[in-house]
Amino acid sequence: MVGEPAVMTRRRLLAAAAAAALLAAPASARAAPARKLKAVATISVLGDLVKNVGGDQVDVTTLVGPNADAHIFSPTPGDARMVAAADIVFVNGLGLEGWMTRLIVASGTKAPTVVVTKGIAARKVDEGGAQRRAEIDPHAWQSVANVKIYVANIRDGLAAVDPAHQAIYDANAQAYLGKLDELEREVKAAIAGIPAGRRKIITNHAAFGYFGDAYGVEFIAPEGVSTDAEPSAKDIASIIAQIRRQKIPAVFLENITDPRLIREIARETGAAIGGALYSDALSEPGGPAGTYIAMMRHNVHEMTKALG
Amino acid sequence: MPELRFRNLTLGYERHPAVHHLDGTVENGALLAIVGPNGAGKSTLFKGIMGEIKPLAGAVERDGFDTRDVAYLPQAAEIDRSFPISVYDMVAMGLWRSRGPFGGFSRKDHAGIEAAIGAVGLTGFEERVIGSLSGGQMQRMLFARLLLQDARVIVLDEPFTAIDAKTSADLLGLVEDWHRERRTVLAALHDIDLVKASFPETMLLAREPVAWGATATVLTPENLNKARRMCEAFDEYAEACAVAAE
Amino acid sequence: MLYATLIAPFAEFEFMRRALVGILALALGAPPVGVFLMLRRMSLIGDAMAHAILPGAAIGFLIAGLSLFAMAGAGLIAGFLIAIGAGLIARATQLKEDASLAAFFLISLALGVTIVSVKGSNIDLLHFLFGSVLAIDDPALALIAGVTSVSLVVLALIWRPLVLECVDPGYLHSVSRAGGPAHIAFLALVVMNLVGGFQALGTLLAVGVMILPAVIARFWARDISAIIGTAIACGAISGYAGLLLSYHANLPSGPAIILVAGALYAISVMFGPVGGLIWHALRRRHLEA
Repeated sequence: MVGEPAVMTRRRLLAAAAAAALLAAPASARAAPARKLKAVATISVLGDLVKNVGGDQVDVTTLVGPNADAHIFSPTPGDARMVAAADIVFVNGLGLEGWMTRLIVASGTKAPTVVVTKGIAARKVDEGGAQRRAEIDPHAWQSVANVKIYVANIRDGLAAVDPAHQAIYDANAQAYLGKLDELEREVKAAIAGIPAGRRKIITNHAAFGYFGDAYGVEFIAPEGVSTDAEPSAKDIASIIAQIRRQKIPAVFLENITDPRLIREIARETGAAIGGALYSDALSEPGGPAGTYIAMMRHNVHEMTKALG
Repeated sequence: MPELRFRNLTLGYERHPAVHHLDGTVENGALLAIVGPNGAGKSTLFKGIMGEIKPLAGAVERDGFDTRDVAYLPQAAEIDRSFPISVYDMVAMGLWRSRGPFGGFSRKDHAGIEAAIGAVGLTGFEERVIGSLSGGQMQRMLFARLLLQDARVIVLDEPFTAIDAKTSADLLGLVEDWHRERRTVLAALHDIDLVKASFPETMLLAREPVAWGATATVLTPENLNKARRMCEAFDEYAEACAVAAE
Repeated sequence: MLYATLIAPFAEFEFMRRALVGILALALGAPPVGVFLMLRRMSLIGDAMAHAILPGAAIGFLIAGLSLFAMAGAGLIAGFLIAIGAGLIARATQLKEDASLAAFFLISLALGVTIVSVKGSNIDLLHFLFGSVLAIDDPALALIAGVTSVSLVVLALIWRPLVLECVDPGYLHSVSRAGGPAHIAFLALVVMNLVGGFQALGTLLAVGVMILPAVIARFWARDISAIIGTAIACGAISGYAGLLLSYHANLPSGPAIILVAGALYAISVMFGPVGGLIWHALRRRHLEA
């Protein structure tokens, strides 16, 4: 470029600099993000699992907090902002979060959505007798075996948006799966300790179907899966009749819906009222069911205490 | 002691006078007709006597009786004619002052109610709902209630307007009975002939009192013309009244 | 056979007996109040009130968490303030009762939603607060029985001024100063019946058993005492039949009761002797006089 006017040189340099910047940009996007990954989980159970698999690499926020009801959750603008700013979104699926599709669209987020129940054999809700509604039961996390699949899906999802830390996610997942194995053994042993004829529970939230199938406990509920369904007198009469007939020993409350119905049935049949079982949501962090594993342990403990 | 005294009384709405500087007394046992064109202030005067509105200036003095002891028949009673109440129960409400809101009715009370219904010619109508009554029958019923109130002072605003002649005549008979019983009766009326025939005392009101005294001296053609000439509408641009208030 | 259909469900199950007692108690106390609401053209107040008590429930929740007692109590106070405030404003200004109440309840509802959002919880407070006829516990039964008793006594006391206030307020005002207090007492009764009903039996039943029997009775009786008696009977019949329907036909109980009342309403509109459509269409011979 000898002999060129100075202006031309400057122009070429600027063009070269611009080209270099353009080339560098996608490369930097594909490089590991310098900050933590932002994950949004719909329910507290998922939030806990994502925290365990993501570890320090991931900042998890949960939309439906402790003790709250995902069936009737109503998202706020703050929630929309969180979803918009997220790098990855985890949902349960199976019809639990009816409001989530709209929220994702409304927030305009670019984050991929991971449905953690992919690959799980879903069960239907049965209504203690005639199948009035053929709804899918979304509470798949009540079986530890399913949660292992959840963990795998979460690990794969995180690795897909953040491949640089894949090794960390694999390791975390592995460690957590080990804990889940231990939990599964505990649960099975505890249930085995209950006399076979007494493995029956009445609870007012038909959310334990997967638990029942996996561990051989029969759950009978007066209401449907969603908390808005209203029972008929016949439903309640059938349950009372059944409790009397099969001599079911215990009635359990859970942390979301109106407990008056349960107390009523317990009073009329003489069944014991067990402690609160956690079905849809974890308790507050310091409470008896602050993490998924703690929640399962708590529930099993309460069941064996009342039935054993 | 006069029954009622008006001291430089001005009554009105939002500072516009409807009754302007009225002075005078109504004696015990008077039978007074209040006459005047539309908008003359007759209904307003009655509201003032009943204490429903406060005077803009001056005062209404009552000789030792409460407004609740006055039997008042307003011009257009705001009666809900669709309400499911019988003539009997409606008339029985006339015993309010003596029996109160909770008092039971004795056999004598029931006899009194039936007598009142009979006196106005509504025997046989006791169980009818008020919605099924004609205008004249309704007015008779209200008079029956007035009878039961057994009040010392009776105030009637246009009691015979829009009802048939027979009913008017019958009810006028009751008014004359009251007068014989020495009750004080004030009535706002449109029918000049009726007033001349049956009312000894008249006040000709056209916002300001035009004349007040014996009917014959009050209801002269000149006075009637004067009253008719008074402006009916309120003057939006009126100045504050120059006559000093009390 | 008849026994099995009509009596057995109640003999066999305690919850059915309690539901029946609860609904009968409501059917005794609420319809008389409803008759007056209907005659005063305030029939929609029930729905407004269900939303209007939200700030009270929200404040109760803020103070004491998910305590039914705190939330219901605070809801009751909110209800009183709104009903009485609306009533006073309607009497003192040119605004009519319905407009005054509408303004209050809208503001109140917005206030309630704001309070709940600020606290940040997503629990549907009102859903929690409202009971169900099949789950009446002892406190709820005591509540509804208490409300009904107080309601009937107060209604008997304010009967005359209340009736007069509806039919000829001018006359009442001229002979008594009891009109204002009677009106306020009546509004208090409305709130009490509604909030007590919400808490024990849920909104649909509390409002439904208050208004529907009154509307039905209007087609069968001409005098106010007879209308009230008929309304109570309709409420009781709807309650009893509705529970049986819920039991035998497997329907949700609250709606079943209201649907029975709805059927009675349809029959009344058609065939009721006082103003029924078909009844009028049949030309019968007119009377002598």
